[in-house]
Amino acid sequence: MQNNAETLLKVNHLCQYFKIEGGETKAVDDVSFEIKKGEVFGLVGESGCGKTTTGRSIIKLYNITSGDVIFKGIRICAGKRSYLNAIEQAKADYKEGVKNNPGQSSELKAKRDAIIAEQKKLMREAELDQKNCDKEYSKKLQEECKKKYEALLASAPAEKKQELEAEFKNEMRKAKNTKIVTQIQMIFQDPIASLDPRMTVREIIAEGLKIQGERDEKVIDEKVYEMLELVGLVREHASRYPHEFSGGQRQRIGVARSIIMNPDLIIADEPVSALDVSVQAQVINLLNELREKFGLTILFIAHDLSVVKYFSDRIGVMYFGKMVELADADELFLNPLHPYTQSLLSAIPLPDPIYEKNRKRIVYNPLAAHDYSEDKPSFREVKPGHFVMCNDAEYEHYMKILK
Amino acid sequence: METKLSVRDLRISFRTSNGKVQAVRGINFDLAKGETLAIVGESGSGKSVTSKAILGIQAANSITESGEIIYDGKDLLKISEEEFHNIRGDKIAMIFQDPMSSLNPIVKIGKQLTEAMILKGKARQRESQKNFDTYLKNLSEAMVKAVGASDQAKAAAAGENCKKFHQFEVKHTELEAAFSNAYEAAVEAVDDIDAISFEMEKKAVKDPVNRVADIVSGAEKACSDYVVTDKADRLKSLAKGLKGQLPGKNSDDYSAILASMQEMRGILQEAVDQTKPDFFRMSYYQCFSGEKLPQMPAEELNQFLAKYMDQGFMKDFVSDAQKALEYTADVAYSNMAKAMETLENAKAAFSKEKLDKKECMELLKSVTAVVETTIDPLAIVKDSLIYTFGPSLKNELETYFGAIGKNVKAQKVHERDQKKYDKLVAKGKTPDWQVAAAAVIDMELVQANMIRIIDRLVEHYKELLDRRGERDYAQETAKAIEHMNENATGIVAKVTHRVAKDRAIKLMEEVGIAEPHKRYNQYPFEFSGGMRQRIVIAIALAANPDILICDEPTTALDVTIQSQILELINKLKRERQLSVIFITHDLGVVANMADRVAVMYAGKIVEYGTAEDVFYHAAHPYTWALLSSMPDLDTNERLESIPGTPPNMIYPPVGDAFAPRNKYAMQIDFEKQPPMFKISDSHYAATWLLHPDAPKVEMPKVIQDRIARMKIKRGEDHAE
Repeated sequence: MQNNAETLLKVNHLCQYFKIEGGETKAVDDVSFEIKKGEVFGLVGESGCGKTTTGRSIIKLYNITSGDVIFKGIRICAGKRSYLNAIEQAKADYKEGVKNNPGQSSELKAKRDAIIAEQKKLMREAELDQKNCDKEYSKKLQEECKKKYEALLASAPAEKKQELEAEFKNEMRKAKNTKIVTQIQMIFQDPIASLDPRMTVREIIAEGLKIQGERDEKVIDEKVYEMLELVGLVREHASRYPHEFSGGQRQRIGVARSIIMNPDLIIADEPVSALDVSVQAQVINLLNELREKFGLTILFIAHDLSVVKYFSDRIGVMYFGKMVELADADELFLNPLHPYTQSLLSAIPLPDPIYEKNRKRIVYNPLAAHDYSEDKPSFREVKPGHFVMCNDAEYEHYMKILK
Repeated sequence: METKLSVRDLRISFRTSNGKVQAVRGINFDLAKGETLAIVGESGSGKSVTSKAILGIQAANSITESGEIIYDGKDLLKISEEEFHNIRGDKIAMIFQDPMSSLNPIVKIGKQLTEAMILKGKARQRESQKNFDTYLKNLSEAMVKAVGASDQAKAAAAGENCKKFHQFEVKHTELEAAFSNAYEAAVEAVDDIDAISFEMEKKAVKDPVNRVADIVSGAEKACSDYVVTDKADRLKSLAKGLKGQLPGKNSDDYSAILASMQEMRGILQEAVDQTKPDFFRMSYYQCFSGEKLPQMPAEELNQFLAKYMDQGFMKDFVSDAQKALEYTADVAYSNMAKAMETLENAKAAFSKEKLDKKECMELLKSVTAVVETTIDPLAIVKDSLIYTFGPSLKNELETYFGAIGKNVKAQKVHERDQKKYDKLVAKGKTPDWQVAAAAVIDMELVQANMIRIIDRLVEHYKELLDRRGERDYAQETAKAIEHMNENATGIVAKVTHRVAKDRAIKLMEEVGIAEPHKRYNQYPFEFSGGMRQRIVIAIALAANPDILICDEPTTALDVTIQSQILELINKLKRERQLSVIFITHDLGVVANMADRVAVMYAGKIVEYGTAEDVFYHAAHPYTWALLSSMPDLDTNERLESIPGTPPNMIYPPVGDAFAPRNKYAMQIDFEKQPPMFKISDSHYAATWLLHPDAPKVEMPKVIQDRIARMKIKRGEDHAE
């Protein structure tokens, strides 16, 4: 849709493995995608396919295993596994090489050491990026802030100087406390569980601001009221507790809490799944309005495909930790290529009894659908903007279908 | 269509500290056998309260104000907790919305699945025995009377036939049950072999040890009871060696095991395709010939048995049974005519201005006795109106006489509150509470109710007498024998721990849980939300219920699983003639599941009709609002959400409850509640828009567009 827009978030070969008894489970396995500024990117798949894990990995709730996440040009997450694997590979190659050509051992050794040194350097960088991205971002903000106020202070008349200095101090403190991940905010699935029952709505919405270092109660109040009105609630609601609200209103509070930080990216993890149809429509309309108003970028995670289709510009389909298909929303529903996508689309219930009673669900069995015993699959572009996980034979087949 | 459950004028309220919340305000619906009724509405519309009332699990602060829920000749609102134990979970089961809270966290999944099966299994066996015995006793008595009125010898023969029937009917079901167990085991083993061979060829087998063990036990079961006969030894030896042929940890060479499994599959398939022996005749032979069954293929055996079986016996028995049925029906009809007279007299007595307690109670006794004589002991479907007449009349009388004291008290409470309120107002304060109306029981209404109950029964009698000529006794006789057959099956079916475990694992497979053997021994916290919901569904299905109530069972699941679960419920519905009440707010799911739809708002049914009626010819503005607030795959325009919130049911609105949120609302909507307007024979809606004087309002464009669009989509689908 917005091909020329800048890339806000880039996810490269993201892997998130969890240790379990007797090995690892690959919750997210080599997932790559980009989100452009101002678009809504939908992520769909069955429960347990890793879509929520992907969202949480991006916002640094987990330490990722491998790959990296680049947000606004800054690498915020980086995993080490790929480098470790490269080192292992180099060592194995060396052993193999020495066995075959005993004469060239010194050359091979040098090559191996070079690779190891290189990978170790990269690994160190990754570690530092992961650790220091917040510091660097706040440094950047502080510098910007300094520049702005120094210029102002220089030109300001003497009587206003004191006031400006106080403001400058306040802004500097805020810049110092800002973390880059606060530019990514999350809306959670369960509007009941995600709000602290002991806090008033005002406290819930203002918490982020306070952590960031805002101390002026008046400013906080103003901002909270502004947000409440923005999401369709009224000022009086600020002093109430979450249990006094209906499900839809609670979800609105969740939305207000996330947009008060003025984020660039919102990760909406199933924000409407727990709501009634009529309320669901209210929340979706609200998100749509906010998106138009602030140019929000949203990563929309959901399993209700009708809603995802309605709301998203591009959609990624995940299956067992892997991204199997990625395309524009209309394109995906018009030309679903991967058998899993087809099976998913065939399961959507539509409000039409005759259609529903004749609907046949396509069953996806990865063993029957693909033959990956020799020809391994990879994520390829079959049409501009349309990616599918396939191997060579399937690629040819898909190209034929698209023609 | 046979009505399984009917809800009449149900009203339920909740006492809260702020006042009485009227959750359900007079709803009516019927549920037919093998039908799905979907109840749609926002949260708080009273759908869950209704379903919980059917199951008799209302909250402690709920008050059932009026109404009846009739199931199997009983009013579920009036029976005791003890009686409910036989119905809840066994006859009527429920799948709850929240899988987290409906499983016991400290009991293993397997135990939770089998617990009810084992408990209910014994109870069901006892009940079947009782049903079978009483029915046969009634039949034999009626037979003797019907046949032997003129001829003593014939009567004796009929009695003898009944005894004989009893003897070999049990034998017959035993044989049949054993056969079908073995047969099912064979069919399953074939399926299992197919599934595992496929995965072995792909070299990606999950949990091979347990699955092979399953196949082995299936094959062994199939070797008994006429399924696998001549090749049984070969099959057994193959099955024995199967486990040893599994490759070791580091090998994926499956060729040996694949070969033997293919041979097993051949034998089993052949057995499955065979003609089924005639167990009815076989049991007769075994009971009365005194000889062993000759060994021969099923087809020959069937012919042999047909020759042996005394055709005359069955013919005699069936014709006698038919006579008996006609006889009892005639008796019941003639009693009806008498009962109608008594009822008319009773009506006059109950219509008096002031009732006398003693007189009324005596009258009740005599009327109930007369009505009971009109019960046909051989009718299989219980006539709920006749059965519930006595208890409901008694209930009303008790309310009437109880109310005399209560009303005085309630009036006093009301006066006290009013005084308090007036005092506050006199002081110049505006209290933030209102005075609740006195909880006085309307004696006239109670009396009117009694008359209504009597009138209804009289009308019912008239209707029955009118339709007297239409009855087909031959068909009813066949049904009666089938009924006894079913009960005999129930007597024979024993549920042991082993059987229960097998069945539980099969159920877990059916609801889509991978590696059920491993999962069987896990605790609920080891399951994800979707998996837990499937367990809950499996538990509900384990008891093999008559009516299944699903309270938003798939709301928390994703589309593929949702689709699977819905297909499963639909399949069970077809196979077992299950009646389903499906509560949801997802209209896509409703379209998939429902035969009929009831749209609820603020405790009332606002629209009621078949799925086609409600989706294609929706008439109520609330239904329109629901339909247009949900996006489908082609929606691009802004969604139309419903403004505002549902009304506070402590002070229910005077007019149409939906009026404040309704953009089509007229003046009258705020003043008077609309009645149910009839649109067609199956379609009703409660909105003033259907009144002849109302302005014509078309269905919103969004919905019309969608219907048109779906038509094109369907057209294409058919063309393919």
